[in-house]
Order: sequence, then structure tokens, then C-alpha cells
Amino acid sequence: MARNLMRFTGVGGQGVLLAGEIFAAAKIKTGGEGLKTATYTSQVRGGPTVVDITLDDEEIFYPYANDGEIDFMLSVAQVSYNSFKNGVTPGGTIVVDPNLVHPTDEDRKTWKIHEIPIITIAKEEVGNVITQSVVALAIANTMQKAIDKDALVETMLSKVPAKVHAANLKAYELGEKYAKEAMAK
Amino acid sequence: MGTREVISTGNELSALAAKDAGCTFFGGYPITPSSEVMHEMSDLMPAVGGVCIQMEDEIAGVAAAIGAGMAGVRTMTATSGPGISLKAENLGLAQMAEVPLVVVNVMRGGPSTGLPTRVSQGDVAQAKNPSHGDYKSITLCAGSLAECYTETVRAFNLADRFMQPVFVLLDETIGHMHGKAMLPTEEEVRDGIVPRKSFDGPAEEYFPYECEHDQPAVLNPMFKGYRYHFTGLHHDKKGFPTEEIETCRKLIQRLEDKVELHKDEIESNEEFFIDDAEILIIAYGSVSLAAKEAIRHLRAEGIKAGLFRPITLWPSPQDRMRELGAKIPKILVVELNIGQYRDEVQRSTGRLDINGLFKVNGRPISPYEIVNKVKEL
Repeated sequence: MARNLMRFTGVGGQGVLLAGEIFAAAKIKTGGEGLKTATYTSQVRGGPTVVDITLDDEEIFYPYANDGEIDFMLSVAQVSYNSFKNGVTPGGTIVVDPNLVHPTDEDRKTWKIHEIPIITIAKEEVGNVITQSVVALAIANTMQKAIDKDALVETMLSKVPAKVHAANLKAYELGEKYAKEAMAK
Repeated sequence: MGTREVISTGNELSALAAKDAGCTFFGGYPITPSSEVMHEMSDLMPAVGGVCIQMEDEIAGVAAAIGAGMAGVRTMTATSGPGISLKAENLGLAQMAEVPLVVVNVMRGGPSTGLPTRVSQGDVAQAKNPSHGDYKSITLCAGSLAECYTETVRAFNLADRFMQPVFVLLDETIGHMHGKAMLPTEEEVRDGIVPRKSFDGPAEEYFPYECEHDQPAVLNPMFKGYRYHFTGLHHDKKGFPTEEIETCRKLIQRLEDKVELHKDEIESNEEFFIDDAEILIIAYGSVSLAAKEAIRHLRAEGIKAGLFRPITLWPSPQDRMRELGAKIPKILVVELNIGQYRDEVQRSTGRLDINGLFKVNGRPISPYEIVNKVKEL
């Protein structure tokens, strides 16, 4: 596998960090290398947050995604989308929540942009807004084919409390379904 | 490289190392980006019968940790640059009274409160001389997740060997990055512990500060029947204040010499593609990760670059830097400050043509910035 660089962006408090940790841990458990870094502002909530995920079979030294090399970005906040979209390689994939992020026409020519209402899916279809990070995880993995699904789901379940296993499994399945539908369009 | 695979962050690995190295006391005050060290210690310490206490401020945090060191246990505090500024006076006390202590500093942008959540290496000069007066700092700097663990363990062993505070410098990047670390086992760490020296003769013959000119004080734990005095003033063999000329001179010279004359026990470096290097990059901490990635790119293009990475920043590896400076034509120091360690490289190599690539806006230096800078040289 070549290096897989993914970036999740949102605002502080949305829980975008967890998806990155799950990705890195799952990749390591399947015998590869994974690193997650996060940058955030000193605002408690509302500041742009970015999580970089690097997956590789070789040793990874530099832990951040180099701007211009990112294959996949997922964004659930306009402020973060604006700040970080230019890190994505032209022709790369960007997933946005259309209720929160509005790409320009120019953006749609530059990148493959998919609109999936991540927060609404978590809130209304799963019934727990916290599961949005797992919906996002499923979308990213389905589109990037980064890691074996079973390994990723197993790692995900090991990181969330047992009482919400069912909700998170449902979140994963829904994320996968929406990602497949978006890709088929 | 160890055999124990752990997936974690640098800050959490530093706390795990403390526990495995036998630390049973943490006193501190949480501050970004070091807070997770304390969070983790608040879980780990009670489980081993130890204590983790959040004090009312940074000053009290280090004071509590020093008190635990006086009582004879392995003790730690963690903070970032603003915390070190506040702790400085007490760190001087620990140097003077010779109390072993591990101080983890996860560096963020400064001066003052600076850039709380952003990466920096601006505390390198501060770590050399956080307090006034003459003493020799021992400062270790982790350049990987695994080293957040192994250097913290080493810090505890050095603190007990040299009887003084030992700094472990992490930076925001390495403290917060999450990935795989291969660690030694708990048993291997335990087997490497050499407890600090103690005196077991008659109490009336015990003089904690009466020692060889290049050796640290022998401080028995308090409350065990051996009475002596702790002070920040110049003191005699029993620890009581004195202004006797020779005693004062010998004391401060000994604080210097106990480290200076035993640098070989402290020095630690990594050399990466050095043998045939025509361009030497010197970097430490998280910046060395970008440097390694840059060297991969440069080597692929036929440019012979190599990395010298000091793991012990203070005392600096000046002899090795002098050797490398005598044979490698071009040297580039890359750091997240404006040349704090370049000064030391200049001093050690005796060369004033040392190039620098510096950044102080709270953002990391990318491998491509290093590649481009090397090509300009």
C-alpha cells in the first residue's frame, strides 16, 4: 500500500479526534504503521480543528500531512473547510456535511466533492450525535479503502463503551451505505 | 528497540514511564500542552499506592514534588514553558539542596503565555539555566514516541545518580501525536533502576553534603532518624547555612563538576546517514522527524545529507559536534526557535558559518522546507 493521507476537520468539541485514533490503531494492529496528529486552537469550543491521519506499511517519520499531498478530507465546519481545503491534492476527494459546509463552484471543479449529511445521520438515524465520528470513519474508509473493515470495526468497538456498541455499529453501517451511494452518483 | 508494543501519545507514554520507573509522587498543575501527563498520572499513581496531587498553582506543584524527593521517593512534575518560568525559583532550590526530581516540559509557543496549543522548541535555552546561579542542567529531549518513554525512565535514573532535577523536553507535536511505540518491558525497566545512595552508619557520623569533589550529596530520606538541614543558602556538610569561604567555593564547584566530569554517563545522540554526509542537519525533538523524512527525499535525489540528533541537549555533546564540524563542510541547524541550539553548535564546533532554518509561528517545519533549504546551501 502506498501512503494514505487523510484529514478530518471540524471545530473544537465535535469529536473529530477519535476517528483519527481509531484509524491509526487499526492500521497498527493489522501490521502497518499509523500516526494521528491534531492541531487545534486555544478556544475551548468553536476553533478550527484538524486531524491528520497517516497510514503506511513503511515507517512514518513526519507525523503531519504535507499540504498538497492529502488524498481525502472530511469537513463538518465551514471555517475549517476554508482553512484546510488547499491541503488536498487536486482531484482528491472531499466529503462535506451540506448543512454546514458550502463549497464554491471553483472547489467543485478542483476536487471530487461529496455531500453527506453526517451530523443529521448521527442525530436522527442513529439517534446519538456523538456517533458522527464513527459515521465519518466509515465514510472515509469506504471511499479510501484504507483498512480491512473488520479490523477497523473491531478497533472502533474497543474504543467506545460497551453500552453504545450497537449505536456505533449502526453508525458505521449507515456511513458505509451513504458513502457507497455518494460514490455511485 | 523494545519488544512491548503500545499505541499511545507522547504525553501518556511519559506518564507510563514514570510509573514503570518507580515514581510514586506527582505534584503539578495542568497546563496545555502537558495536561495529559497529569491526567494519566492521576490514573496510574493511586493504582501503585502513589500520590498524584493537583496543587493550587505551578509553584506549589513543583514544591510538592520537591518535598516528595526530600522524603526519598521518585517524584515528578510536568508543565510547559510558562510553568517552568513560575517554577524557576524552586528548581534552583532543588539544584542547590540536591533534591532529585523529574520535570517534563511539553514545549509550546512563548514567551509568556504565547501560543498554548501550538508547537515550539523555545524552552531549550531556558532548560539550560531556568534559575539564577551556577549549576549544570541535565536536559533530555525525546525525538520519537518510544523516547517519550525511554527518556523519562532515563531521567529518573539520572536524577537519582546526580541528585538534581532532570528535564525531559517534549514538544506539542510529540506530546500529542498518537501512534505505535516499541518499549522495553516493565521488568527490563525495573532491572535498570539504581536506587539513590544512602548512608546507613551511625546518625552522628552522617554528613549529607560531605562528599568527593565530583560527587552528589547523599541524602537519606527524611523521617528515618537521620537529621540534617535543607536550605537554598550556601551550606556546610550538615546542610546548615555558612559563609565560610572555602566551603562556599567547593559547594558550587562541586555542583558544576558532578555533572561536567561525568558527561559520558549522560550523553546520548542519534546519527542518521552520517558516514558519507556532505551536509549535516542538526535537529532534535519532533523537528528531527521532519529532518529524517527530508533526508529520505534528498538521498533519493543523490544529495548526501545526514542527521545528528542530540538526545541529551544539556550538557551538550560538544566533543562529537566538534568532530563532525571538522569534517563536514555544510551544517544546517533546524529548530522551532530562533537559533537557541545553533548558538551551542557554533560554540562547540568553533564555526560561525552554521546555517539555520527556524520557525516561531507555532507551526511545524515540514520536510519540504528542509529539502528546499538544503538545496540553497
